[in-house]
Amino acid sequence: LQLPLSLLRTAQNHPMLVELKNGETYNGHLQSCDTWMNIHLRDVIFTSKDGERFYKMPEVYVRGSTIKYLRIPETVVDMVKNEVQEVRRHQKDMHKQKKTYGGGGGGGGRGGQSNRGGRGGGSGGRGGGGRG
Amino acid sequence: LVFSVRIPRMAVNLSDPYLPGAISLFEQLDKHLIVVLRDGRKLIGYLRSIDQFANLVLDEVVERTYIQKYYSEISHGILLIRGENVVLAGELDDSIETGQIKVSIDELNRIEQSLEQSNNDVQGGSSSKNDLPLDEPY
Repeated sequence: LQLPLSLLRTAQNHPMLVELKNGETYNGHLQSCDTWMNIHLRDVIFTSKDGERFYKMPEVYVRGSTIKYLRIPETVVDMVKNEVQEVRRHQKDMHKQKKTYGGGGGGGGRGGQSNRGGRGGGSGGRGGGGRG
Repeated sequence: LVFSVRIPRMAVNLSDPYLPGAISLFEQLDKHLIVVLRDGRKLIGYLRSIDQFANLVLDEVVERTYIQKYYSEISHGILLIRGENVVLAGELDDSIETGQIKVSIDELNRIEQSLEQSNNDVQGGSSSKNDLPLDEPY
């Protein structure tokens, strides 16, 4: 599949649940997110840790470092699968239009890119190891 | 003639090109894992994605709560877990019988309450919880 943060980016405009480290939960539609997992939610319902208090808020900005986990709807994953198929189909069409000789090799190369989800994590890890 | 040779797992790890000298979660992808969080929660699911911070994407997640030999499960769907909250992740062998009994959430709450009562009668102290949390909520 893809990297966790790219899955989050794909989940924009979808409803989700965010639980913070302090146990509070925020339910809302993901407006945007960044590389530090900071997120902007719209139409948010806040639930306190004890589940006793609820607040409704039009929008909320949550700093990534305070997040414990995010619950993502399954519809996002289905969308991702369809997106991947769409991208591959689009690439095939592009090659047919170009009718270049290297189209087969280029297609093979780009077909390899679908694995980058796993290796992307790996190459990211290499960078992380260097910095550590 | 073709011979198939079984390469011992250790040899494969040493030649891992992605994280030399480090243990990678890469080999745990699509496996059934139990993930323990710092707040003591035990989440069970299939590992779908990882990154360099060990942020995890788990699929078909159930949160399991244990009281002695009884447990109950809450479904959570797909979870993106921030890596710093993870204590450990371990591969589950679904074929192993643990002798633990699955009950409903209400039933588990009842068991917990009855245990707390009996503990208060005997000792007047809190029952020893083997759970974490490691951190105070902040």
